[in-house]
Amino acid sequence: MTAVATTARRSIPGAPSMWFFVIGDLIIFGCYFVAYMYYRGQDHTLFLHSQARLNLDIGAINTIVLITSSLFVALGTAAARAGTVTDAVRLFGIGLGFGAAFPLLKLFEYVPEIVGGVTPGTNLFFMFYFVMTGMHLCHVLLGLVVISFVIRNLRTAPTPNISLAETGATYWHMVDLLWLVLFALLYLMR
Amino acid sequence: MTTYLRNPLTIVWALLTAVTVVSWLTARDGGAAHLVNVTVTVVVLAIAAVKAQLVIWHFMEVRRAPTWLRATTAGWVVVLFALLIGFYFQSL
Repeated sequence: MTAVATTARRSIPGAPSMWFFVIGDLIIFGCYFVAYMYYRGQDHTLFLHSQARLNLDIGAINTIVLITSSLFVALGTAAARAGTVTDAVRLFGIGLGFGAAFPLLKLFEYVPEIVGGVTPGTNLFFMFYFVMTGMHLCHVLLGLVVISFVIRNLRTAPTPNISLAETGATYWHMVDLLWLVLFALLYLMR
Repeated sequence: MTTYLRNPLTIVWALLTAVTVVSWLTARDGGAAHLVNVTVTVVVLAIAAVKAQLVIWHFMEVRRAPTWLRATTAGWVVVLFALLIGFYFQSL
């Protein structure tokens, strides 16, 4: 895209009010991330031993699942904007499918952990783990509902609401963004 | 569908997936899981920061947004990761 076109179209994607919510969420989660790092620094051994009990492979696969879902939602948004509604519905649908895989895979993590006796009360690491991934999971579930509404609007409305598609997509990408940081902090770092 | 394969968004996705695999392997094969490892931490946090900015810039389309939104989101990434790295090194 040329510089001229970029400048001409410079605008907030989706509803501006959603961006206040997105930025607010980023700040709230940011505070949790920094607090986590601070407490982790107080007891590296506890955090490292607890972290080793997480399922790194499911965490990584879920990261790729969310990134892929985000891609299809982004392509769907572009298709909706270009007026190719059939494509947009299909792309948002694939995005929804990948997105729905995330909570299912998370169950395969949570259930063995809880059955194995690991709960938020186990120690500070698992308190952070369950609270932060739990709050994130609520965002995922809400995001799936939002994406479903976008698909319904694209399929049934005489003139699809492009702003709704952009707003829903923005929310969904934020869910992806927060997970990328959570994955690095809870599963990867040493 | 080939137009989607050549879409810049798909290239961003390929990049995000590739660096996710790199950090996955870094953490998996990066020595004993119970030991503090500065190299692993710096690599995975740097990758996470780059991924965050890629998602904000391309998927959330902030590259086309007004300056205040570009600055706010970039500020979030910079301040967050500076604090994370700072607290990490301060605790060693």
